[in-house]
Amino acid sequence: MSENETTDDARTDGGETGIVAPDDEVPTWSERKERKSGLSRLTYEYFERSRREDQDLRNESDYVERDVLGFPTWPHEVIRNLSISMFFVGMIVLIAAALPPSLEAPADPSSTPEIILPDWYLYWSFGLLKLNPLNPGLAVLDGGKLLSDQLYGVLANVVVVGAVALLPYLNKGSARRPVEQPFWAAIGVGGAVFSITIAGLAVQNLIPLPLPLQLNIVFVFPVVAGIITYTVLKTMREGYMYGLNRRYYMLRPPK
Amino acid sequence: MSLEKRDDFDHNAWLKTKDLTPIESVFLTTLVFLDRRLRIVDYLELLENAYYKVNLQMPKSHTEQYDLDNKFWYWYPLYSLGFFSTLAYIVAAVSGALLGFYYAPTAAGDPSAAYNSIEMIMTELQFGFALRSIHRWAAQIMMAAVFLHMLRVYFTGSYKEPRELNWLLGIILISLSMVFGYTGYLLPWNQLAFWAGQIGVEMALATPIVGEWAAQLLFGGFTLGQATLIRMYILHVFVLPFVVTALIALHIGIVWVQGIAEPH
Repeated sequence: MSENETTDDARTDGGETGIVAPDDEVPTWSERKERKSGLSRLTYEYFERSRREDQDLRNESDYVERDVLGFPTWPHEVIRNLSISMFFVGMIVLIAAALPPSLEAPADPSSTPEIILPDWYLYWSFGLLKLNPLNPGLAVLDGGKLLSDQLYGVLANVVVVGAVALLPYLNKGSARRPVEQPFWAAIGVGGAVFSITIAGLAVQNLIPLPLPLQLNIVFVFPVVAGIITYTVLKTMREGYMYGLNRRYYMLRPPK
Repeated sequence: MSLEKRDDFDHNAWLKTKDLTPIESVFLTTLVFLDRRLRIVDYLELLENAYYKVNLQMPKSHTEQYDLDNKFWYWYPLYSLGFFSTLAYIVAAVSGALLGFYYAPTAAGDPSAAYNSIEMIMTELQFGFALRSIHRWAAQIMMAAVFLHMLRVYFTGSYKEPRELNWLLGIILISLSMVFGYTGYLLPWNQLAFWAGQIGVEMALATPIVGEWAAQLLFGGFTLGQATLIRMYILHVFVLPFVVTALIALHIGIVWVQGIAEPH
């Protein structure tokens, strides 16, 4: 071992005086404890890179770090949160008092009721189960169906949930506002509208419309809503960008 | 339009330059993956800062930095939806525990002990009517808040890069909440409950390969009865509360670690 390394080993407090270490003088992970091999070595090598990346970003950024006395947690933030919470819980109790639930007739396996429905938040899923009019009959199978109607409905659910789950892998980038990505905003509005129209399909026997018309509504309305959203956002974009750019421009005037 | 992402620190390229054994590369890839998302290095830095007596300073928040709060950001109220759903979950948990004292998950009896116990709760028990009403509405409101929360996350792009894991976790949570609601819906063992259960069994049976097994496991057979009711009860009061509470804690924990995704 060389002279230098022994000194570094002995010096674990980051400097002689032990007072505040400026960023450049904080010993790196490898200096602090020499790790010769294996996973720990790699870990520290990566952490050094990660730290350096953060430090570079910090150096490059133009805002001043300062001692922050933020909005005090106690009492301000706590009281604000408590008041919001109490109001919200109060609303639940109020609604519960105003609109009590009913208790339907007891279960009777021998009589099927006219209306079978889950709770409202499952209507979309129930509607997808009723997509069987769209289950294509195949000529090869003499008009027989490849999937049973029930399986078709279950698969529709799997497809919808799967598509939503894949979202972060389909839409990447750092855009945060709908105006920045009118297309994705349109997809979102279309999806939200679809969840309502498909819920209408779940209660199709309560809606006095012929089934083909209703199926058209289920799929056309979301598309129309999406197109409207897209158009509106595209139009908004110009003026909106002007305001946003001005904001950033005023903060970082060109050198 | 969107802010350019810097890619000076291309960790993958760095990994490629190194001659690593499979174990090492898997380890490093996992480490980089986790650190990019959960900033493990930050905690070491915190410890280090404490160690070196560096006074703690907080950076300005995004809103402060870009002076965005002089303009009313009209979506801020929607940022409370996640908190509201948690709150409604707590209300439902407390009222549900109280209801559990009086509910009997038994399909036998006339018409059934389960139905009779709900009837007793609603007609004879002091505050029982209010209790059931609160439990039911808290559940409804939780579902509504959760759906709106999901829309908010979608339209503010909060599911993007370091937060994909939490989006996936959120999808698992919303699905489990719906299962929570479904199992609870079946407990009164009234007509709606029975026939909603019937649809559930049919859905399970329509699934190829695992369908019959799933129907056996979740519904206790292909026709509804005592086995179904007790399974729904155990799912509703034992399995799901633990799983969902743990996942909610993890979900919120990750939000805490990663910070609120403020819109640019």
